Amino acid sequence: MARLFSLWRNLVHRNRVERDLDEELHATLELLVDEKVRSGMRPEEARRAARLEMGGLESVKGEVRDVRAGAGVDTLLEDVRYSLRLFRRAPGFTAVAVLTLALGIGANAAIFGVVKSVLLDALPYADAGRLARVHGQLLDGTQGRVQLTAGMVRTIAARQRSFESLAAFASTRDGVYGGDDFARIVRIAWVEPGLFQTLGVPAALGRTFHDDDRAPGHVPASGAEVGPDTGRVVLLSHAAWQGLFAGDPGVVGRDVRVNGIPRTVIGVLPRDFVGPMGPADFYFAFDLGPALASGTNWLNLVGRLKPGTTHEAARREIAAVWASREHPEEFSSVGLSAVPLRDALVGATRTPLIVLLASAALVLLIACANLAAALLSRGLSRRKEFAVRMALGAGRRRLVRQLLTESTVLALAGGAAALLLAQSLLSLLRGVAKPVLPAHAEVSLDPGAVLVTAVLALCTGLAFGVVPALSVGRSDAQSALRDEARGASEGRRPRRLRGVLVAGQIALCASLLAGAGLLARSLWETAKAPLGFDADGVLTARFRLSTPDYPTLPARARFHEQLAERLRLLPGVEAVAIAHKIPTVDSRVAGFALEGAPKDAPQPFIVYASVSYDYFRTLRIPLRQGRTFDASDRTGGPGTAVISESLARRYWPKGDALGSRIRLGGDPMTVVGIVGDVRNDLARPGAEPMAYASHRQESTQRFCVLLRTHGDPLAFVRPLQREVAALDPSLPVQQAMTLRAAVGEGLAARRLPLMLVAAFSVLALLLASVGVYAMFASMAVAREREFGVRMALGSPASAIAGLMLRQGASWMAAGLLGGALGIVIVVRLLRGLLHGVSPFDPIALGGAVAILVGCATVALLVPVRRATRVDPVLALRAE
Amino acid sequence: MPGRRTTLLQGTLDLLILKALSAGALHGLGVSRRIEQITRGTFVVQPGSLFPALHRLEEAGWLASDWQPSENNRRARYYTLTKAGRRQLGEETAEWNQIALAIALALEA
Repeated sequence: MARLFSLWRNLVHRNRVERDLDEELHATLELLVDEKVRSGMRPEEARRAARLEMGGLESVKGEVRDVRAGAGVDTLLEDVRYSLRLFRRAPGFTAVAVLTLALGIGANAAIFGVVKSVLLDALPYADAGRLARVHGQLLDGTQGRVQLTAGMVRTIAARQRSFESLAAFASTRDGVYGGDDFARIVRIAWVEPGLFQTLGVPAALGRTFHDDDRAPGHVPASGAEVGPDTGRVVLLSHAAWQGLFAGDPGVVGRDVRVNGIPRTVIGVLPRDFVGPMGPADFYFAFDLGPALASGTNWLNLVGRLKPGTTHEAARREIAAVWASREHPEEFSSVGLSAVPLRDALVGATRTPLIVLLASAALVLLIACANLAAALLSRGLSRRKEFAVRMALGAGRRRLVRQLLTESTVLALAGGAAALLLAQSLLSLLRGVAKPVLPAHAEVSLDPGAVLVTAVLALCTGLAFGVVPALSVGRSDAQSALRDEARGASEGRRPRRLRGVLVAGQIALCASLLAGAGLLARSLWETAKAPLGFDADGVLTARFRLSTPDYPTLPARARFHEQLAERLRLLPGVEAVAIAHKIPTVDSRVAGFALEGAPKDAPQPFIVYASVSYDYFRTLRIPLRQGRTFDASDRTGGPGTAVISESLARRYWPKGDALGSRIRLGGDPMTVVGIVGDVRNDLARPGAEPMAYASHRQESTQRFCVLLRTHGDPLAFVRPLQREVAALDPSLPVQQAMTLRAAVGEGLAARRLPLMLVAAFSVLALLLASVGVYAMFASMAVAREREFGVRMALGSPASAIAGLMLRQGASWMAAGLLGGALGIVIVVRLLRGLLHGVSPFDPIALGGAVAILVGCATVALLVPVRRATRVDPVLALRAE
Repeated sequence: MPGRRTTLLQGTLDLLILKALSAGALHGLGVSRRIEQITRGTFVVQPGSLFPALHRLEEAGWLASDWQPSENNRRARYYTLTKAGRRQLGEETAEWNQIALAIALALEA
């Protein structure tokens, strides 16, 4: 009780308590003086003696303060105040330290937030560890993932023993929701009814599918749609329920029009559900039966393993089941495999994410090294301060406390800045990275990551801030003081520590720069390789014709032609083409075979597109041989195909491709022309073989219009919309943009990891340069007096410079040696991301090393210059 | 005998201060002189030890203090034993006697 009262008094009435103490001590002094005067001393003498006996008033006060209640709080506040004052007096050091911490912690927390959401967070399915994807792959390794035919799905489902349930689903496609006055483009997913049960996802409202819900006699495969769309019931995603139906609780049972056909809502899926096909608005159920005849690869398969079955066992079983199928001559080039669902979803994003995480970790390490360096130099330069404070009676514990407080204040400031940085970095990433990340990823700041990185930074601060200062032991204090006065050079230990820090930073930075260099080279190679067509000055837009309005191929072809005719008449339009896809965007593949080739000959998949006559002229794809499509390629007439140069070269090396007969999944076609190569996969610098069919002989509901225009293509968006509305007012125009932009979008996904890694390496280079400079500079300062002595003894400036250069060069060499090891690791990590460039590309690696050595040299030369200009007289006289 | 130093046993100083104040209120210097006097000069308490101890004992609630005019007609801070302090003195005295007896026995053995 009494203590509590004292605590209150000491903390709140601090001034009065202090005044009291001051007065008490002064009164005691006066009493002592009087005592001595009474015993016969002269007044001045008495005062002197009294002062001696009292000792330092301030130190007595300090002792009293220490025993008071709340002394801990007091000391802490005092230490914090002192730290802040120190930081204010050294703004450069403080800024570097806080910024370094902020960058290191912030970047890590942000990237880890992304990585965790993609790789670690639970999938939105029940017991997701038992879910697997079954997919095909080309045995020659050219394509990692091939979709399945209905027949393949049936074969697997009938004979496998590993899964308790399997369900197929198609990729999502666009659809039109609503009627004449209100039309919205929506995403539609066709799935087998058992999908939701397999995933373990119940409906949030209503129910999921039963087998009776299957659309009878309808195959929704986008290339080979068969039969009228008979899907009568739909499931809604949570987002569609909110967005299109305003979260209407009575939505189950409501009638909706999708693609012009009335259907009934039977349920709503949970909020966090994202299907393995990606986000969708409406789900329809299909029946595998009618699709069995089709040879189109359009299905994906997901299954739930039986309890106790491993993924590895399932993979082996699926491969074995497929190998022992009834007709091994069909799809002989395809093997089947099973992978955990998460791996399938994460897919290609794993490597870039791990690369990013590694880069962020490297930045953090460099940041720590930097901080260590800054604190080390500071600690060493403060040895004298500590020696003085110890000589004046400060306890070792008191000093440690002061240093701990300083480091903590620094870490807290850095941490706060880091949080701000991480938040803004994440909101940036959320926008930029969304299309590249798997749909289940929920990008958010991870408190664990923030904590771990902050603790790491704090430990660095403590280790390097406290230890060097404390190497001044009590017994050392005198020698430390003398050391300074005598002008000795720095000791061996701090110098070695500095060397390790410099070398470490250079090694880390070299690895990161090399990685960024390789990625940049790879992107450069892919970006500068010719596309094979002229993407400038072209407007693109996408459409989807609904089945009820355009049920047949001739109906669709007629619409294509009418639209193209109208657009061609627009002033400023040079050429118009219809194609089922935009080049480089969403390519479709089909099994390719020469007619007459044996059934069991390998059947590669190649990219193909159905296009109108003017396609090649519009995109300026050169005709090499034969002709492009013309009016003679009628619907129902003999099938014709135009193939690319590389396809012709591969299968007709003698140049006799024209007139040959080929198959692309369906009926045989005659090759009538050969055109220039076009790149379809922007990730690769080279063009792949591809084939074209006429839109009159092969067409889909989805198509795009390509308009080559004079002037700005975007000026033609309105006229385009007008012309489309004149033909079919209910047909929405989707994604009108320049072809250049569409191509750019494809590259953007590839560019993102590079941009981030590049940003990290610039950051790392900056941090490392500052760190290396600081280290060289502090080395120069520490040896200033030694250099002064050397010069005074007649050593020329060049010898001093040589001394420092040799020291710096040996540190740098050690760093580069370590960097070489780091580069090997980085290269191994990056191998899968590099295209068109060797992993040990001399330009990228040489460039990285050159930049690094350049920066380090500059960081070295400035202090060297300073060292050679040391005025021996001043250096020796200093202090 | 100023200047003569005898290391105080841990806890002895508190006991001495309490004892010194048991006869009545004293200011800081008075406590110091009183200790010198009752220990016949064996213990000289330096201000650097005395004042922290006084404040510590006050905060523990064993001493109370107030400002009174001193013998040289200035204001000085006078310390008195509180009830708790008197109790504490009794306890510590008993404890000390026990220890002293034990040590004496040990040394005679």
